[in-house]
Amino acid sequence: MMPVSNDKFKPVVQDTIGREQIVRPSLNYWQDAWRRLKKNKLAMTGLIILVFLTLMSIFMPLFSSHDYATQNYDITNLRPSAEHWFGTDDFGRDLWTRVWWGTRISLFIGVTAALIDLVIGVIYGGISAYYGGRVDNIMQRFIEIIYAIPYLIIAILLIMVLGPGIWSILLAYALTGWVPMARLVRGQLLALKEQEFVMAARTLGASARRIIFRHLIPNSLGVIIVQITFVVPSAIFFEAFLSFIGLGIRPPLASLGSILSDGASVIRFHPHRILIPTAVFSMILLSFNLLGDGLRDALDPKMRK
Amino acid sequence: MSDKILEVKDLRVSFSTYAGEVQAVRGVNFDLNKGEVLAIVGESGCGKSVTAQTIMRLIPTPPSVIKQGSSILFDGKVEITKLTNREMERIRGSEMGMIFQDPMTSLNPTMTIGEQIAESLIKHQNMKHKAAIERAVEMLKLVGISNPEGRVKQFPHELSGGMRQRVMIAIALACNPKLLIADEPTTALDVTIQAQIIELMKKLQEKTDASIILITHDLGVVADMAQRVIVMYAGKVVEQGTLDDIFYRAEHPYTWGLLRSVPRLDQNTDEELVPIPGTPPDLFAPPKGCAFAARCPYAMQACLEEDPEHTKLSATHSAACWLLHPDAPKIEKPIEAGGRHHG
Amino acid sequence: MLNYTLRRLFYMIVTLWLISTVVFVLMKNLPGDPFGEASQKLTAENRKILMEQYGLDKSLPEQYLIYMKSLLKGDLGVSYQFPAHSVTDKIKQAFPASLELGLWAALIAVSVGLLLGIIASLNHNKTPDHAAMVTAVIGVSIPSFVMGPLLSYFVGVKLGWLPPGLWNGPEHRVLPAIALSFGTLAIMARMMRTSMLDVLNQDYIKTAKAKGLSGYAIVVKHTIRNAILPVITVLGPIFVSLITGTLVVEKIFSVPGLGTQFILSITSNDYTMISGLTLFYSSILVVVIFLTDIAYGFIDPRIRLAKGRK
Repeated sequence: MMPVSNDKFKPVVQDTIGREQIVRPSLNYWQDAWRRLKKNKLAMTGLIILVFLTLMSIFMPLFSSHDYATQNYDITNLRPSAEHWFGTDDFGRDLWTRVWWGTRISLFIGVTAALIDLVIGVIYGGISAYYGGRVDNIMQRFIEIIYAIPYLIIAILLIMVLGPGIWSILLAYALTGWVPMARLVRGQLLALKEQEFVMAARTLGASARRIIFRHLIPNSLGVIIVQITFVVPSAIFFEAFLSFIGLGIRPPLASLGSILSDGASVIRFHPHRILIPTAVFSMILLSFNLLGDGLRDALDPKMRK
Repeated sequence: MSDKILEVKDLRVSFSTYAGEVQAVRGVNFDLNKGEVLAIVGESGCGKSVTAQTIMRLIPTPPSVIKQGSSILFDGKVEITKLTNREMERIRGSEMGMIFQDPMTSLNPTMTIGEQIAESLIKHQNMKHKAAIERAVEMLKLVGISNPEGRVKQFPHELSGGMRQRVMIAIALACNPKLLIADEPTTALDVTIQAQIIELMKKLQEKTDASIILITHDLGVVADMAQRVIVMYAGKVVEQGTLDDIFYRAEHPYTWGLLRSVPRLDQNTDEELVPIPGTPPDLFAPPKGCAFAARCPYAMQACLEEDPEHTKLSATHSAACWLLHPDAPKIEKPIEAGGRHHG
Repeated sequence: MLNYTLRRLFYMIVTLWLISTVVFVLMKNLPGDPFGEASQKLTAENRKILMEQYGLDKSLPEQYLIYMKSLLKGDLGVSYQFPAHSVTDKIKQAFPASLELGLWAALIAVSVGLLLGIIASLNHNKTPDHAAMVTAVIGVSIPSFVMGPLLSYFVGVKLGWLPPGLWNGPEHRVLPAIALSFGTLAIMARMMRTSMLDVLNQDYIKTAKAKGLSGYAIVVKHTIRNAILPVITVLGPIFVSLITGTLVVEKIFSVPGLGTQFILSITSNDYTMISGLTLFYSSILVVVIFLTDIAYGFIDPRIRLAKGRK
C-alpha cells in the first residue's frame, strides 16, 4: 500500500439516519404513469389528435354556413372546393358539416358504450369477485353463455325489431358488450384480493368499504382505463359496420359509418366521398389505439423504471 | 497445465440505461481452482449475479457492456470476453452449466423434462434422440428423483419445487461441465428442501469433480458447502479467503456486518442481531472513495477520498480496507469476527 | 381433459338453445305483417289458409315447440320472398363461396399475422418492429368495409392488377380475401408480438440460453411454442370476426355468398331467411368457438393432463 498522510486516518462522524434516505425521489403511481405516458410520443400524438377531432366535431357544425340536412339537387357530388371544403354528396348536402356531425355521433356512441361498459361491467365483475364462492360461480356461468352469443347477431335482430337508430344500437351493446370488461374487472379484483397488501390492510383492521375503495378499486383503475380506451373505437367500429349493412343511423342524420357506407358504393365516380371520411374515421380509431397502447404501457406497474 | 479453471481479472460490467450508465461490476478479481467450491456473498445489487452471468456471457450486450481491460480466462486457455456468440454457444451447456434461482419459472412449461435434459445432450454430444432420453433417465436417477422412467415424460407443472430444482441440476450437469455456477440455488426453496439440494450438490461435486461457483446471501449455505469465499459490495470484491479466514478472521467491516446480522449456534441467545444500517450506494454515480464508507462505523477521512486496494493478509486471505494500512489506528474487532469487542 | 371437453360441450348446447329461443322471440315481435304488402290483397279466408300453412294460427308455446322440432331436423322453413325455395337450400347454395372466402382470409390472417408478430418481437424497437407495428396499426384503423372499396378501386380499377369484383376464378379470390383478413392480421401480429416479448423475458429462456442452444432453436422450440398459447385462445373470436366480416366484404366485391344473401334478406324483410341465416351463422360461430377451445385444451399440457380437478 502506498504511504498516506496521517490526518487521513481521522475518523469521520457518520450520520446514519441520513444514510437511510432513498437515493431517487419516489413518485406515486399516477404521477409516474403520467410521466411515462408523456414520454411516449405516439401515445401523445394520439391524444392530441383525439382532442383535436373532438373539438372539431363539437364546434365545426356550429360555425359552418351549411346545415347537415339541406338538400340541393343542383350541387350533388361536387369535389372539394372553397365553398364546400369536403365536397357534397348524392343529395347536394355539404360533406364538411356532415362529416363533423357524423364524428359527433360516432364519438357519442363510442363514449356511451364505454360508460355502459363501465357501469354494468365493473359492477358485475366487482360483485362477482368480491363475494366469490357460489355467487361468483353462477355469475361466471351466466357470462360464459352470454359471451358465446355473437353480439352482432343479437344486434341485428334487435335492430330489426326495434328499428334502426342510435338507441337500438346502444341497447344491443348494453345487452352483450359489457362482458369483456366484467371479466377483466373480476380478474383484477380476484388477483388483488389475494395479494398481501389486502391481507395487511385487513390485519390492520380496515373495513370492507375502505378496502374496496382505498385499495381494490384504485389498483384496478389502470386496467379499466386501458380497456375503455379500446372499447370506444370498437363500439364506433361496430356502429359503422351496422350502418354499412343498412342497420345503422337513419338519414338525414349521419354517422361516420353511414357516410362511409354511402361513399363506398360510388368510389369509382366520386372517390372524395369515401376518402375523406375514411381519413377522419381512421384517425379516430388510430388515435384511440395509440393512446390505449401508451396507457397500457404507462399504467403497467412492472414497467416502472 | 494450470490448475485454475477460472481467472477473472479486473472485470468491469456496465449497463447503459435510459437514465445513464449503471456500473454494476467495478473491477472484480478472483480465481477458481479446479474441483473447488467458491462462494460469492453479498447483498442484493452488489453485482454477484451479474458477475456470474457475465462469465457465461448470458447478459445481452446491449444493454450490458463488458469494459475494455476485463479478462475472464477459462481453463487456462479460453478468453471468454473475446469469444463470438457462436463460440460461446458451444461452451455453454457443455463446459459450463448454470442453475438459476427460481425453479418454478426456470423450466419450459410446454416441454417434457426429459426433452429439456436431452436438448443439451443432442446439441453438444451429438447423441441420437433415443440415447439422449436414456441418458436423461440416468441423470434423473443421479439427482435423486424417484421413478425416473415415468418422470422423464412428465411436464414441469407436475413436479414440486424441490424436484424441479433437481431437474435444473440434471440439465446443468448433463454434459459433464467443468464449471457449474449456482445462482442462489436454494433461496426460493423451503429450508428442508434447501438442505437436500445442498447435500445433492455436494455429492455430485465429489462425483464429477466439477468446480462450483455458489452465489448466495445465506451464510449458512456458504458454511455448508464452500471452501473459499469472496465478499462483494457495490460491484467490487471487498474481502476474500478460505472459509475459516472469513468466518473466524474477517478483516473488512462489511464482512463483520454480515457476520453480525446472521444468527449463529455458538452465539449467546440474548445477544441481539445487528443489521447494517443504511442502503447500498447508487451505482449510477458510485462514490469516489470506498463504497462502504457511508455505512461503516469505522470510516475515516481516507475512506471518503480513495478506494482502498487489497491488502494481502495471508496466502489465501485478502481484504480491501484502509484499516489495514500500517498507519491506520488499531481497532478492536467485533466478537463475531474473532475479536472480543461487542460492535 | 375430458371434464373440460364436456363442460365446453354443455355450454355450446345451452348457448345454441338460448340463441334459437331468442331468435324465435324476436321474430315473433317483428313489426309489420309477415305477408308484407301482399297482405292487403288477401281475403279473410285466404289469410286463414296462409296462416294455417305457416303454422301461425297456433298458440305461441305450440309454435315454439314446432319450431324447435323442425330446427333439430334441420328444417329452417321456407323463404318468404321466394317461397319456392327453402331456406336450407338457399344456404347450401350460397355457403360454399363464403366458406372459401373465410378460409382464405383466415389463412392469410394467421400466417402473415403470426409471422409479422414474430419478426417484430425478435427485432424489438428496431426497424422491422416499427414497420410491422405500423402495418398492424393501419389494419386496426381501417375497417374491412373501407379497405375493401379502397383495394377494389385502386388495385382493381385504377391499376387493373386484379379484378375489382365478382367470383369467377382464382384471381377473384385475392382482393376480397386480403380486405377481409387485414384487420384480423393486424390483431394477430400485435398479440403475437406481445406474447413473444413476454415469453422472451421468462426465466426458462435464460435456462435455454445457458444450455448453449442456438438462437434459432431457442426461438422456435422454446419461445414460439409458449408464445402461441395465448394467441390460440383468441382464435375463436378471430374466426367469429372473420365470419361477420364476410357480410360486408361480399357486398363490396359482389361475392355470391351468405353475406350477400343476408343483406338482401334484411332489406327485403324476408323474415324466415333472416332467422334462418341468423341461426346458421350463430351455430357456426358457437361451434367454431367450441372447437378452438378444445384445440387449446389439447395443446396446453397443463390442461391436457389435468386429472379432472377444477
